[in-house]
Amino acid sequence: MQSKFSGRWLTPLHSALLLCAGLLLCTGLSLPSQAAEELLQFQSAQQQALFRELTAELRCPKCQNQNIADSNAVVAVDMRQKTYQLVQQGQNKQQVLDYMKQRYGEFVHYQPPVQWSTIWLWLLPAALLTSMFVFMFRKDKTNAAPQLQQPQLDSELQAIIDEVSAPGSTQSPPQGRSNPS
Amino acid sequence: MRKLMFFIPFVLFIAMSVFLFSGLFSDPRQHGSALLQRDLPAFALPELMTGQRKTAEDLRGQPYLLNVWGTWCPTCNAELGFLTELRQQGVRIIGLYYVQPLDAAFGESFNLTALQDDVRRKLAEQGDPYQFNLLDEKRSLIFDLGVTGAPETFLIDQHGKIRAHHVGDINPQNWPALAAQYQALLTETAATTKEAADAK
Amino acid sequence: MMPEIGQLALTFAFGLSALLATFPLYGSFTGHQRALLMAKPLAIGMFLFSALAMGCLIYAFLQNDFTVINVASNSSSILPWYYQITASFGSHEGSMLLWVTMLTLWTALVACFSKSLPLLMQGRILAVLGIICVGFTAFSLFMSNPFARSLPFYPVEGRDLNPLLQDFGMIVHPPLLYLGYVGFAVSFAFAIAALLGGKFDSTWARWARPWTLAAWLFLTLGIMLGSWWAYNELGWGGWWFWDPVENASFMPWLVGTALLHSLAVTEKRGTFKSWTVLLAIAAFSLSLMGAFLVRSGVLVSVHSFASDPSRGLYLLAFLLLVVGGSLFLYALRMNAVRSQSRYQLFSREVLLWGNNVFLLTATLVVFLGTLYPLFHKELGLGSISIGEPFFNQLFYYLVIPFSLLLGLGPWVRWKQQSLPPLLKPLTLVLIGALTLALGYMSLTIGFAANLALLGLLLGAWVGWSAIVEVWQRLQQLGGVGAGISRLQLSHWGMTIAHIGFAVLVIGVAMTKTLSVEKDVRMKIGDTVQLNEYDFTLSDVYALNGPNYGGQAAELEVYSAGEKVTHLHAEKRFYALQKTVMTEAAVHARLSRDLYVALGEELPGPSWALRIYVKPFVRWIWLGGLLMALGGLIALLDPRYRRRQSSAAIPPAVQSEGQHA
Repeated sequence: MQSKFSGRWLTPLHSALLLCAGLLLCTGLSLPSQAAEELLQFQSAQQQALFRELTAELRCPKCQNQNIADSNAVVAVDMRQKTYQLVQQGQNKQQVLDYMKQRYGEFVHYQPPVQWSTIWLWLLPAALLTSMFVFMFRKDKTNAAPQLQQPQLDSELQAIIDEVSAPGSTQSPPQGRSNPS
Repeated sequence: MRKLMFFIPFVLFIAMSVFLFSGLFSDPRQHGSALLQRDLPAFALPELMTGQRKTAEDLRGQPYLLNVWGTWCPTCNAELGFLTELRQQGVRIIGLYYVQPLDAAFGESFNLTALQDDVRRKLAEQGDPYQFNLLDEKRSLIFDLGVTGAPETFLIDQHGKIRAHHVGDINPQNWPALAAQYQALLTETAATTKEAADAK
Repeated sequence: MMPEIGQLALTFAFGLSALLATFPLYGSFTGHQRALLMAKPLAIGMFLFSALAMGCLIYAFLQNDFTVINVASNSSSILPWYYQITASFGSHEGSMLLWVTMLTLWTALVACFSKSLPLLMQGRILAVLGIICVGFTAFSLFMSNPFARSLPFYPVEGRDLNPLLQDFGMIVHPPLLYLGYVGFAVSFAFAIAALLGGKFDSTWARWARPWTLAAWLFLTLGIMLGSWWAYNELGWGGWWFWDPVENASFMPWLVGTALLHSLAVTEKRGTFKSWTVLLAIAAFSLSLMGAFLVRSGVLVSVHSFASDPSRGLYLLAFLLLVVGGSLFLYALRMNAVRSQSRYQLFSREVLLWGNNVFLLTATLVVFLGTLYPLFHKELGLGSISIGEPFFNQLFYYLVIPFSLLLGLGPWVRWKQQSLPPLLKPLTLVLIGALTLALGYMSLTIGFAANLALLGLLLGAWVGWSAIVEVWQRLQQLGGVGAGISRLQLSHWGMTIAHIGFAVLVIGVAMTKTLSVEKDVRMKIGDTVQLNEYDFTLSDVYALNGPNYGGQAAELEVYSAGEKVTHLHAEKRFYALQKTVMTEAAVHARLSRDLYVALGEELPGPSWALRIYVKPFVRWIWLGGLLMALGGLIALLDPRYRRRQSSAAIPPAVQSEGQHA
């Protein structure tokens, strides 16, 4: 199969650029934003981002599977307040998480701890992935074995070909093809 | 060998079903306590009726139950009767009053006198199991104890170490388990007091 | 009286399903023709009675018949009529009846559209579906009867439908989701029938494929609708929470996608047979397990129905019977089957295996993430939580190689492919993708947002590759004009579905990285700026709905002096259920959503508002829609409607051996 691109290799590139321009048209450019009258004031954007990250990753211990950012339960509101205070004090993510876990246990963080009992969460998928790949490569090794020799069938086929290509035959010989794969 | 490999999905499925079966009989909402075997967190809270300041040191010496409750909580009110019986049997119970958050937007503010009247009335109605009540207006000790609601009860030993954290009300069905622990702690305290007295 | 008719209809459906489960199966083992022929009328009758039962329940809701416990608990006379209909499947009992109706519908459809199948096979398939129907109709009838009455006492007014469910999403999401969820029972039945019969030729795969496609496309739509609904309804701009119930629907989808691709290999090349059968069993098993998880109370979820251990026990027993039985049968029968085909390392077979590898690993990740806390706790090791951070991390790692393979896949031939002819087109696709992604990023937000760039790159690679591949195939078929009608529908379906996936990846990456949010307090007249938009609070007033009160806020949005839109956000208080609900104001465009949620009133008077600008979030659902559309187009391919006689011509000969 020869490539059709030889004389027209610019076309896909042009189309790519056109599509890019199209995307641009439908999004517009963005400008930097200015903070105003926030409910919770932070000293820096990093602290605000840390607060958002923490409230998304901390679990409300009383709710039916909600993080503290979205729950209005008393304990969730208290935890949000506490997170805000700790972030204001300059504590980092791990310190705040430890503070909460000290009081509410591992249950309150949506990321499981990495310990002997939980390492399987990462090991088992990795094991499945590798074993499935290994299986494929092993299968390929078996496939790469040489074709089965079937001399009897080969000679039968040759006999039919000879018959057909014999000078008195009314049929035309088949086109040159070796063993069907 | 190949034949046995085909049984792997079946075996894995049966193993998983065992867990699902046992999961049916356990409460997914119970998730253990982080406070066990740890010291009662430091605090300085006023006593509800007198306003006298109490700290963790003041509570040491005897094992006791720390019961988190509020008059707004129907289950707490329901368990008051049983807890009062326990007090009459000699169980030492200290209350930790859980103040609900107030909506500043609508002019609600903390009114101590109103709260004291409310508590007095409720305890007169249902029975008073408490030696005294700690007032946790900002829910600071409540937060440090990992409390998520009311009622919850902690069993604290004579040295101030938390031995049990019970979520939900105390009733005749679940009391015996806690009672055994409490009794063991009492015996321990009596033994050490006797030793100390003998040593003098 | 109608509820009693409904209950009677359900009982008849149960009876017919019991007959369907036994007679045709008996007929298939003894060759008894009449028994086999009974399957079709039994299936159709079973569906008609189930539909009648569902109709009676809906009627009871529309008539405000509060003597029926289900109606009294989930509806009220002030509920609008369209929500009264959806309330019929809003509870455990009602949704179970909907499940039964969907299951019997699929069974009846299989009975009607199986003319090309041998009678023996038909009988087996319908019998297996009958067994499943017996289990679920019995469950509905005996353990969660929606028609139970509370006579002689009954309430004057119902408890109203949970306000969260009073939304358009509730009208469409459960039916579509259940159609998909339950539809995998058909592939399952095909697999079991094949195991019972011992025949696994590629015609089995060709018959099973359209049914799997149909179930898969409904499940895709159902999940997408659920996500879109949560986004609009819950008020925090989130569209996927990795909640156990969400995961319970996602796992069958992942395995179903793997099954679709594996079926392609089995149909075309006659290989991967045992793997395909296992996947067909696994997809429906995960559906069943999902039903168990949602209704047994084993896991905590915002979606779960009120739990009852006896229901959980029944479902677990049913799960053990069906899944355990099928896996045991699989182990017994499958080792006698060997695939004969051969293929090289660089071939479509291997790439499709790669597809399966990543999809199955993703399924395992979701499975572990959902159930591991249970295992951990039952083993006495303590309580842990597994949520978004875990899933996001692992899916992030999995989607990269998966997308790379996906861009490569459509180019590679069956059995063997040599690399040199592909190098030129693939390099051009790569350049195109890089130009698109890097060009867009550099001109808009810069290179700081790594995840967005990565998502854009992967999406562009997959999407652009699919487009260029189709363009090249059209050229091969005689030019774009002639080629469009000649290219097989299944090829178009594949291309559109893959483009849908690319769109989804771009949407997820962009919205996750570039969304901005502000929690502000505003008085009337205040303005807040977010990105290039100015949000001004123009009015707040009291609400007076049919069954709710509360407050509504009006906002004006401007950008560079020009008005963009007017937003209307609500905070509703439903009197009967005493719950508060936010109706977020959403202004949707392909490039971004503007999202405003009204919070509580503060002193001033002022109000707490959450304002979001979420770029590309529509692409997520658009991607899902495209995937479902691709599935529909592939489903319409005429080769699935061909009768058995024309199967003599191997489809591989028909166009250069290179189609889906």
